[in-house]
Amino acid sequence: MGDVWNLIIANPVLNVLIALSHILGGSFGLAIIALTIIIRLISWPLTKRQLKSSKALQDMQPKIQELQKKYGKNQQKLQQEMMKLYKEAGVNPLGCLWPMLIQLPIWIALYQAIMSALAATPESLLGLAHRLYSWDVVSQAIPLSSKFLWLDLGSRGDFLLAIIVGGTMWVQQKMTQAPAVDPRQQSTSRMMLLIMPLMFGLLSLSFPAGLGLYWAVSNIIGIITQYFVTGGWGYLKFRLPFQSKQ
Amino acid sequence: MGGWSGPVVHDGIIYVGSRDGRVVAINASSREQQWQWPDTDALRSLVYTTPKVLGDLVYVGTYSGLVYALTIDRGAERWVYPRTGSIGAIVGTPVVVNETIYISSSDGRVYALDTTFGDFKWTWPPLAEKPLAEKLWTSPAVKGDTLYVSTFDGHIYALSAETGELLDWSFEAEAGFASSPVIDEDTIYVGSFDRHLYAVKIGSDEPMWKFPQEEPAANWFWASPIVDEGIVYAGCLDGKLYAIEAKTGEKIWEFDAESPIVSSPVLIDNLLVVTDESGTVYVFNLGAEIGDEAVPLKTISIGADVKSAFWAQEGLVYIRGEDNQLYVVDIDKGEVSWKVSLTIEE
Repeated sequence: MGDVWNLIIANPVLNVLIALSHILGGSFGLAIIALTIIIRLISWPLTKRQLKSSKALQDMQPKIQELQKKYGKNQQKLQQEMMKLYKEAGVNPLGCLWPMLIQLPIWIALYQAIMSALAATPESLLGLAHRLYSWDVVSQAIPLSSKFLWLDLGSRGDFLLAIIVGGTMWVQQKMTQAPAVDPRQQSTSRMMLLIMPLMFGLLSLSFPAGLGLYWAVSNIIGIITQYFVTGGWGYLKFRLPFQSKQ
Repeated sequence: MGGWSGPVVHDGIIYVGSRDGRVVAINASSREQQWQWPDTDALRSLVYTTPKVLGDLVYVGTYSGLVYALTIDRGAERWVYPRTGSIGAIVGTPVVVNETIYISSSDGRVYALDTTFGDFKWTWPPLAEKPLAEKLWTSPAVKGDTLYVSTFDGHIYALSAETGELLDWSFEAEAGFASSPVIDEDTIYVGSFDRHLYAVKIGSDEPMWKFPQEEPAANWFWASPIVDEGIVYAGCLDGKLYAIEAKTGEKIWEFDAESPIVSSPVLIDNLLVVTDESGTVYVFNLGAEIGDEAVPLKTISIGADVKSAFWAQEGLVYIRGEDNQLYVVDIDKGEVSWKVSLTIEE
């Protein structure tokens, strides 16, 4: 199983990352950013579907709120009516999960690739020899520098990176999460809005900074594409001090 | 733990770093342990360096960034450098020349210490300056009053052995150097991550030759080569051992061990001894006629993986296996003569 994983996912990710690093002037950080963009391009059809689902859900909010008011006391009926509404609109509310699930093996492969490519120990450097393709761009890039901006990509991320990862994730989620009318749902969705950014922020502190960089860049790309595909900031409302609360 | 310290034999005692972070001295005749260091677990550290013996001291650099001088009779600590704190992790085996021990460190600097008291002589670059490289895991090579250092970013630097200052000449390759440099006459031989072995004439900006001359090898030249009578013997991680004409870079013969060659070859008289990662020892008779493809005189398996440097003298080969055992191979008999565990029972 490990051999198949290495052959199909881990080694291609590792070698592409190292090759990108050489092409981008020996910067492993830029290579991670470039790989993130490539991954986002590959997963674009899924992302597009997810964004369309989000947009459709956003457009359906008045109707959903109406249903919540109407059937608020009968949860079973409310669920039935909402499912009917989703079906009529051709929206799958769980469709948003697929891009996340697809990214999971990529995160694992990227984590392994960062640890292998940076070869923090003599054993990992020697072990790297058996996982590299015979491309000139790969052999000329080894060994890689782990320094990028203020980060050591092979060491645990710092607070600044954690704040960037958590903050960008919060913004991305806030753009798509519709405000709930039901007070119980309100508190659940407020919690959800905080839990994921907090979790990823904390993960950035315990995983190599390279992985945190991937998450941060991935979130920023997500925010940008969401802005242009759904036409704006979605549910993220910026309010200036002189603007009254609507 | 780990580490790939190799053994060294001096006056009938074998000194080796164990995989559990100790230095162990074993009497080669009685096969019994003389001493082990340290006594306390807190001082144990990964050891990648092969101990060096000079006079009544054995020197070892640790992955925790400390250099120790231990007495050869009891393993008592004579001195440690630095006295407080540590330098970067030490992976390359220190070099001892003329009462000076030279250490390359993972902080990208070379240190020179006095062998008797461990007093600091110099470090290059000085601590306030940018290091030579992000990390130095190779050993320096010394010729005359010059120290040559190969780096992972593809440089060979020449330093004054006396002061550590950078000398005028340096060499830059497109790819990083994987092995420590070896000097024969006025030429440096060094393995690269671009799957070539480089021969560089000291003072020249261009390599004298790169081997293989056409297609690169299938993997890195990780182990330092050795040079004898105008022939370079180089092992490659693709499992091949090459004999190369030192002047021209032409291949004389090759041998496929079918397992990566991680350790440098060793010569005893006219016998060339090579180990591969799977723990097979190959002995070649250089006195006999060898065609394009060499056939080993002896092939002996120790039954354990090998990543460490090994020691060979008087028909015996001393190898530390990855199973934390020390193997002594008798070349004449073609078998493991004896072995001893380096693991200390708690």
